[in-house]
Parts: sequence; C-alpha cells; structure tokens
Amino acid sequence: MHRMKNIEYDEDDLYAEDEEVDGEEEQAYTDEDRQNFDDLTPVVRAELDEAGLQASDREIEEALYYYYWDVGKSVVHLKHARTPRPQQQQAKKEKAKSKFDQAAERSASKTGRSSYPSPSASAWFDGILWSTVPSEWEGYLIPVGPQIPRPKLLGGSSKLAKLAEERRKKAASSQTAPSVPDTGLSSLDRLSKPKDPKENVLPQHAKQEPKKYPIRKKRELTPPPKEPSPPPEVEPKEELPDLRASPTAFARTLSTGPSQAARTRSMALDELFSSSTNEENPFKGPSPDDTILRAQQHSKGLNNGKATKQFANGLAKKAEALKLDQTSSPTTPTQPKIKSKGLDVPKLWKDGKAKRKPAAAFVVIGHVDHGKSTLMGRLLLDTGAVSQRDIDKYKKQATELGKASFALAWVMDTGSEERERGVTVDIAQHHFSTDKVDFTILDAPGHRDFVPNMIGGASMADLAVLVVDANQLESGMKGQTREHILLAKACGLKRIVVAVNKLDSSSPPWGEATFEQVKDEVTKLLTATGFAAEDIAFVPCSGLNGQNVVTPVPSNGKTGWVASSSRTLLQELERSASDNVAEATIKASLRMQIADVFRGGITNPLSVSGRIATGNVQVGDSVIVQPSGETAAVRGIEASSDGVEWAVASQLCTLHLTDIEPQHLRAGDVLCSTSKPVPVVKSFVVQIQALESILPQGVDVHVGRLHTSGIIAALITTLDAQGELLKKKPRVVKAGQSANVKVVLSDGGAPLEVGDRVVLRANGSTVAAGKVERTGSCR
Amino acid sequence: MRLIKQTIQKKDGSGSATLLPEEPEDMWHAYNLIRANDLLRASAIRKIVKESAAGSRSVDRVHTNLTIRVTKLDFDTQASQLHVSGRVAEENKHVTLGSYHTLDLELQRNFTLEKAEGWDSVALDTLKESINQTAKAQLWAVIMQEGLANICLITEHQTILRHKVEVSLPKKRAGSSDHDKALQKFYQTTFDSLLRQIDLADPKPLLLASPGFTASSFQQYIKTQAASGANKQLHQLVPKITVAHSASAHLHSLSEVLSSSAVTSKLSDTKFARETQLMDRFFDLMRNDDARAWYGPKECEAAVERGAVGKGGGVLLISNALFRSQDINTRKRWVQLVDEVKDQGGEVRVLSSMHESGKRLEGLGEIAAILTYPIENLDEEVGDEHGGIDDLENDPDGSAVNGIEGRSEAHEDIEI
Repeated sequence: MHRMKNIEYDEDDLYAEDEEVDGEEEQAYTDEDRQNFDDLTPVVRAELDEAGLQASDREIEEALYYYYWDVGKSVVHLKHARTPRPQQQQAKKEKAKSKFDQAAERSASKTGRSSYPSPSASAWFDGILWSTVPSEWEGYLIPVGPQIPRPKLLGGSSKLAKLAEERRKKAASSQTAPSVPDTGLSSLDRLSKPKDPKENVLPQHAKQEPKKYPIRKKRELTPPPKEPSPPPEVEPKEELPDLRASPTAFARTLSTGPSQAARTRSMALDELFSSSTNEENPFKGPSPDDTILRAQQHSKGLNNGKATKQFANGLAKKAEALKLDQTSSPTTPTQPKIKSKGLDVPKLWKDGKAKRKPAAAFVVIGHVDHGKSTLMGRLLLDTGAVSQRDIDKYKKQATELGKASFALAWVMDTGSEERERGVTVDIAQHHFSTDKVDFTILDAPGHRDFVPNMIGGASMADLAVLVVDANQLESGMKGQTREHILLAKACGLKRIVVAVNKLDSSSPPWGEATFEQVKDEVTKLLTATGFAAEDIAFVPCSGLNGQNVVTPVPSNGKTGWVASSSRTLLQELERSASDNVAEATIKASLRMQIADVFRGGITNPLSVSGRIATGNVQVGDSVIVQPSGETAAVRGIEASSDGVEWAVASQLCTLHLTDIEPQHLRAGDVLCSTSKPVPVVKSFVVQIQALESILPQGVDVHVGRLHTSGIIAALITTLDAQGELLKKKPRVVKAGQSANVKVVLSDGGAPLEVGDRVVLRANGSTVAAGKVERTGSCR
Repeated sequence: MRLIKQTIQKKDGSGSATLLPEEPEDMWHAYNLIRANDLLRASAIRKIVKESAAGSRSVDRVHTNLTIRVTKLDFDTQASQLHVSGRVAEENKHVTLGSYHTLDLELQRNFTLEKAEGWDSVALDTLKESINQTAKAQLWAVIMQEGLANICLITEHQTILRHKVEVSLPKKRAGSSDHDKALQKFYQTTFDSLLRQIDLADPKPLLLASPGFTASSFQQYIKTQAASGANKQLHQLVPKITVAHSASAHLHSLSEVLSSSAVTSKLSDTKFARETQLMDRFFDLMRNDDARAWYGPKECEAAVERGAVGKGGGVLLISNALFRSQDINTRKRWVQLVDEVKDQGGEVRVLSSMHESGKRLEGLGEIAAILTYPIENLDEEVGDEHGGIDDLENDPDGSAVNGIEGRSEAHEDIEI
C-alpha cells in the first residue's frame, strides 16, 4: 500500500538520523556501554585472531556498538572490513555520494576553518576593518557571479553535511557493512532520494509507481514525527534525538527576521568561499538530482522518488524565491522613475584613471582667528577660482562693517552671522583646480563651540592643512590647535600640511627663528599625537598678503630663506595629493554620510551632499537612508559642480534625490546601498584613547557629521599600548589611557558599523576618540 | 504639600500622616513617599453596579474614601500624576475587602499614608522636605543649538523635558539664503512651542543656553517679537531671560549650565548648589584618581563599613531612585547605609533622580561616596560580583552596574 510505504520510508529516515547522532556522540558512551565493551572486545578479538586479522580496540568497539553487542555480526563486519573491497563497490559508493557532500567535505576538511557560521553577526564581522581593509582580505566579496546558484540552501545543510562527513569517515575506517545504510547523502538529499542505494544507481529498474496523491506527498517533507521510543530490548540506552533540533535552511529562512537574514547571507558567503576557493566547481554540470530527474522523465512512468524529488526541487526554488525576497525586502518595490543605465562603475573608474587628474579634499584646521578662512580666500583668489571683482565687492562691504581685513575670509564665510561676527561657524566647501590636481577646500571653524562642525569637515577630507599664527602660538597650543590636531588624527587623516601664517607681521617680519620655533613646537605636538614625521610638511606664509601661498616670495631680502628652503602652500598641497583609492573600496557597498540636506534648485528640490566613504553610485540607483530606513532614488549627481553619471568612494559629491520626503533626511544620516544597509544601533563598544579622565557619564557622540548624545554606560577594560588587557572594569579611565567602553545612545539609534570613528565630547571638550569595536542590539 | 495631621511615633515610626498636595511637584514627593505595602487612604470614585430584585442593573458612580494596601505605583512625569494600585484594606458599604482599586491622587485632596514598615529616617526626611513651603524655585530652560532645542521645566527636584524641537537646517551655501530662512523658521517654531508651555501671566525666569550665538540670537528674536506688539504679555518675559553658554543642546549639558555663575546667581536654590558642588568635587577627585572617591553600591557599602564615610568630610551621595525599590529589603539596605553614615557623622545627600545632579549620579550606579581617608583597591576587595556589563545584547538600556535591585524603577525617570 502506498501509505504503508510512506511510513516505512519515514522510519528509515529516522534510523539513519539516529546513527548519525551516534557518530557524533561516540565519545559519550555510557558506563554500561563501557562495561559491555570490556566484556565483549576480548571475545571479538579472539575471533578475529582466529581468522588472522588485526583490529584496533576502537574499531571493535564501534562495530559492537553498531550491532548492539552482537558478537557474531561484529566479527563478520570486521572481517569484511579487513578484506579488500571489490573495486566496483567502491565506485558505486563514490557515485552515491552527492555533490553537496563533496562540497561539504571540502569545506570541513579545510584546516582551521569551521563551516559553522559565527554565532552572531557582530562576531562574524569581528576584526573586519571597513575603512582600511587589508588587501589580502578584499578579494572575497567580489566573485559572486549571477549564474552561480544561490548557495543559501547550503547554509542550512552545512551542519548536517558535517555530520554526514563524520559518519563517512567512520564508515571508511570500519568499512561499513551493507546493513549500515550508505550515507553518501546529506539529509537534504535524503529528503528527495529513495533510501536504497540500488534504487539510486539504477533508477530505471526501480519499481515505478504513478503519483497518486501529490498533495499527500507534502507531509513527507515536514520533519519526521517523533517516533515512540524504539523497543527497549533493542537499545534501552539510546535516546531519540530531537529531530527538530537543527532547523533546516528553509526553516531558518522562514523564521528569521530581516536582521538575521543578513547573518544567513553571511553564512551563505562562507559556504561560497569554501567551495569557490577550490579549483573544481562542484556545481559545474548537472547536479545529481538533475541527472536522475532527466532519467526519470525519459522513463515511462513516474516513480515515487521522482514525485518527492520534484517537490523537493520546488521547495528549493521556493526557498530561493523567499530568500531573494528577503534580500530585496528593504527595497520597496517602487520602481524608481529614473532609469539606471546600469553602468559598470568600477570598470569606468579604472579605465578613466589614467586620464583623470588626481582629486583631493583638505580640511583647514587651527585655532580661532589664526587666519584659516583668509588664507583660503587668498588661495582661491590667486588660483583664479574667485575673481578679483568679487573680492573688491567683499572689501567694500566689509569696510562698511569696519572689518576690512575680513574681506578674503568672506569668500568662505558666506553666512550673514559669520560675516557680522567675523567668525566661521560652519564648514565651507569650495572647489578649485590647478593644472595637476582638483582640490576641494573644507574650511573648518576654529571656535571651540563649533568643534562639532569641524569634526564633520575632517571626516570628509583626505588631508589636513593646519594653520598656525606664528605670533600667537601659545593661545592655539592651549586651545583648538591642540584639539584639532587630535581630532584630525581621530578622524583618520594621515597627512598634514602646517601653514605657519601671519609671518609678515611677526617681529621681525619673516624671522626665520620665529618659524623654526613654531615648527619645533608643532612638530612635537604632531608626533606625540601620532603623525609620522614624513607626513608632516611646513610652509611659512602670509594669507593676508598672499606671500608664499600661490606665488613664491622673492628670493632676496628678508624672505630669502623661505624661497630657498620651502615650497609654496599650493605646491606642497599638490605634492600631498594622491589618488590612491583601493578598487575594493569602490566595489564595496555604498556608504555616504550626509553632510547637508538642501534645496539644490527648482529642478532639484531635494539634494544631499557628502563624501562617499565606500562603494559607488550612479544616476538611477536606489539608496536607503539610515536610520529612517526610507528608500530614495538618485536622479542626478554633481561632483565639483559638474553633472556626472556616477561617483565613487572618496569623492565629495551632491546627490539629487527623489521619491523621499525631506523629513527622512538629516545631516549625519547615512545613504547606503539597498542590498546591504548600515544597521541602526542603540549601543556599541568603542576602543578609545582617553584625552581626559573618563567616568560613566553623559557625552556627546560624534561620528563625522552625526552629532547625538549618549551615556558611557560601562568602562569595560583598560588596555596598555600593545592592546593587552590592563584592568577589567576600571573605576576610572585616566587621560592618555586606552580603554574599551560601552556607549549607549540616548535618542534612538544611529547608523554605525564596526570600524567607524567616534569622537566623544563632554562639556565642550573632546574627552576621547576611537573606533567602534562592536555594535549592540539593532533597532 | 501641606501636613494636615500626623500621628507618627518617634520611637517606632508607627502612625500615619495626612497630607494635602498643592502643586504638581508634590506628586513627585508622594511618589517618593509611598511604597508597596503601605496603607493609603484617599478619596476615590468607584463604579457600583446594583442589581435590583427584578433583575435590572443600574450603575452608580460614587465618591468614597478608600483605604488600599499599595501594590504598585505609576508616576507620569509629563503630567505629574501618580496612580497607586492596591487592594482595598478597609471595607465599606460600596466596596468589599480585597477588591482591587487604583487611586489617582489629586491636587487639593487629602490623602493619608501609613507605613507598613514604619516611618524610617529616609521616609521622614522625604516627608520633611516635601512639606517645606519655602523657596520653590522654578525656571524654564531652552537649551539649544542650530536645529535642535530642548524646552525643559526645572524645579527644585525635577527637570522635565517638555518639548523637543528638531529641525533639519540646510548648511550655509554661497549664493543661497536658505540657511538664514530656515534658521528664522527654527526660531519661530521654538518660540511657538515655548509659548504653548509657559504661562505668560505669571512668567518664571527663562534660561536660554547654547554653544555659539544661537541662544543670544534667539533672545534677540524674542525681543523682536515682543517689540512687534502682537502679544503684550511678552514684555514681561523679556527681562526674565538669562543667556548662558552650554556645550551642546543635549540634556546632559544642562548640569554645566546650571552650575555656571550666570545661572546660580539667579537661582537661589541652595540645595541644588550644594549637590552640584559635591558632585563636582567627587568628579574632580575621580579625575585625579584619588582613592578617596568611590562609586557603585558594593564599593560604597564597603567604605561605610570601614567607617571611611564619617566625620571630617565624609559624604554619601545617593539617588532617591534606590529608595523607591519595590523590594522592602533593598530599601532597608539603603536606609541602613544612610543611618550608618549619619551615625558616623558623615554628610548624606539624597539626590533627586530627576534632577541634573542625580542624573550624573545615575551613571555611577546611583551611589557615590567621598571618603575621609583614601582606600586603595576597594573594588578588588569587594570582588567581581556584578558581571555582564560588556554584554551588549542583554543590556539594551545599559545599566552601568548590575545587582542593584532598585535599578529598574530608576529607568522610569531617565527619559524625562
């Protein structure tokens, strides 16, 4: 009867499962088992000796365990195992082994690499630096061809496959007798395959039964029901394994939320690596399932096996579809109105590399009133980015306000309040090019109240220009010169050009001694902060008069030493600019922190600007804005005030967005790719360098433009210079120490990833800076 | 609050007190006074279902005085309302013994409180503080930066965030006046929200604080509005405005503002001034890694045990959140600690968990002590009893130190 058959089939399945678990838990023999072993092993050994065969205790024990202490069967089995097996049988066995298992075997045998997924997503990403990925890591994310079947199903089967693998190893050592079912099948295969290996090898000869009740078949695929415990006289000790204990990939897919979906995806990637690093592609050619299916289609009837298999295939497809759904679920299906041209941006970027001028963005930092904005105004005027006419206009207006000397600064300070008070408040962005390099100036405010804005600017720059007033070194050293240097380092800037400004008004004017003194002091501070000596350059100059900014000073007279010993500011900047973005950074998922949300004009009512940290973007792309989670479409891109088709990492650009409401966009939000959005986290652990003593306290948390508040909830550890643990749960982190602390954000969550650079401030001064070690619960 | 009648015995703390809450802050005091298991008698409105012999049902709402044995308290910080649930402990003709009722304490209506465990020293101190009629300092504060403004009401014991204005401002941009326009709109929004909160007929002092010039620009904006003459009452507000500097618009910057001289001169709140002074002293000691400053429940208990928080400068700073514990033993533990310090001659400051100084204490495990002599490595002796602080997943609100039972209630207050 059909139904009877089904039941048997289930039972079969169940036993196979039992044995698999035995294999895994062989270490855990009970005392009674051991007693039995002690009693029976000598008996078996004696029998074997008679037959002239040798066997290890372990083999004997295993055989005994398999045959439930039946000495006779064990001996027969071991004899079989000792005598060389016919070649044909070997071949048969090979054939029965599915490709799935081969892949699993490979992954399992890879040294030091477990095919188990990491227990949590954060652990999985542990130690991965997002911003500076070592080149040897980078290759992994690339080669996912679309034609490769989605490897997600493997993710679930890996555990089972590993079990199977373990069993197989054991089988190889004990040369499995026919009564032990051949287990070249992972459980997933078994779902769709008849148990009998004979049927597997020769499906045409198998008795073919027409499919009668296709609906009923479905039941087979639910996990086998828990059987009443096997008859006690057979195996009283044996415990029925909980068959529901390890969910299948399908089940996991069904039950996971979107946050876990990301994890599943990472597991899938893991599987992919383990198989793709191998020369041989196990997915090449038709799968064993396909082969059998084809064979069955050729045969007249439809057999039982096929029906199940078809279903299993359908199931796989459904699971596939589900997964596709899930990965794309953050993308609301609303088709953006702007068609994407589907450009291969990394390739375009690579091809155009030779033709392009290198581009660099530099942030201008330093203490308030040391002449940052004026120096930049001068730079723009002398490079022709700003016309003399504009400057004259500013000069006239500034004179009316009684601030004639601020005329140059007004190029950068465009806000009415800034002009009135003569203080830069926010970052000003200005673009200019020379013959060699495209520059973007980010003019940071020097006032201590506006340090948050300076952090935003520094996070968008490639290098820093530190402006120091030669006559007021002291004030800066106590004030923002010091803090800005620390922050520039904390924001990851490596190269710094120090412009020693206002040398025309020093006493004596253009005194070399003054310059040298400033140079010594600043060098000391910079090296103490961690800048390498070769990354520091000094330029003596005067921003107000424009000496040694763009035009070199006369090589005679007071300024002779300048002309002979140093470059102009512009030359030094050109020398420092480099265009060395790694290709992997460009191919990575899009991350762009919004620096500003504004109305770009009548045609572009909603625009955002910022620096692309990783990845690339092109017109027509869909992007997700975190933390709001809303999607938007990119309808236009501007880079250095020209419309472009695409933009890549490290570029400062403006994106014109549509299909999103402006309230979902704030400065500090992150635009990211729809496939892999940044998680929004409420708490995180950050490894900090303390600049002041730190207690559990309220702090302002700065991540680039993002400015939010949080609480240092726990001091976890202090670390020494080598990163070794110094003290757990310290009561205070002293200035200069590095430590791991936990920060809990007060207002909702923030889009944060491991490796993001965080600055913590309290009471108007920077107390610590560091990198996110791991992130906490997602929203 | 006014004390109407009290029959408290000094000896054993038995007896009851009848109190009349007069203003919203009195609810906060009541919240700190009433504990689980206490007997509370107050007026209540109860629905009574009557069934006549003919089987018709009629529902009556009756005013009655009910005595309940408290099981749960619920304090609404925004509305300053206190709901006390419990089981009826005294039967009357409407209500049967043991049935459940939730009393909503109302202003200008007496309630009588009898302590289950007797009135301990902390409870008596709270009571004394709550019936103190003098010097009820109150001010409004707007702590702001460009694009963000927090409007709070600061009373003697509480800081209540009443409104938060958050606007996305476009940054400055050459040739565009969007920033200035948006800034004006931001001031307008903040101003409107502020007017909705404050009572112009009886204006309280108004404190504006921000980094940079935002606060002074906003003050200018209010002045312009007052000068435009649309709202006559606004003129009374203008002279009451104080402008101060704050590091940011976030609430934790408020402690810095409140301790600045510009504000303390206007606020004659000596209690808060003293508390802030002590907190600052504690933080200074910590910064210098002085072993005379310790925080955390275990550490402080150990220090008190050794008599280090005694005469000659010993101070125990403790948040009243710890005394609100539902668990009687936990409360007893802290009351004992406080009594111990008082016996030793040390100073005890019970800080309001809803006030700025109390909030700073919150991160330190609600309790801190300044010792009379340094004890090194107190934490190591106390042992590593509170684990799991580095467990991000299980600890989403990030309580700094586990093992304080009073902790969970404290969380009700942090989101003021």
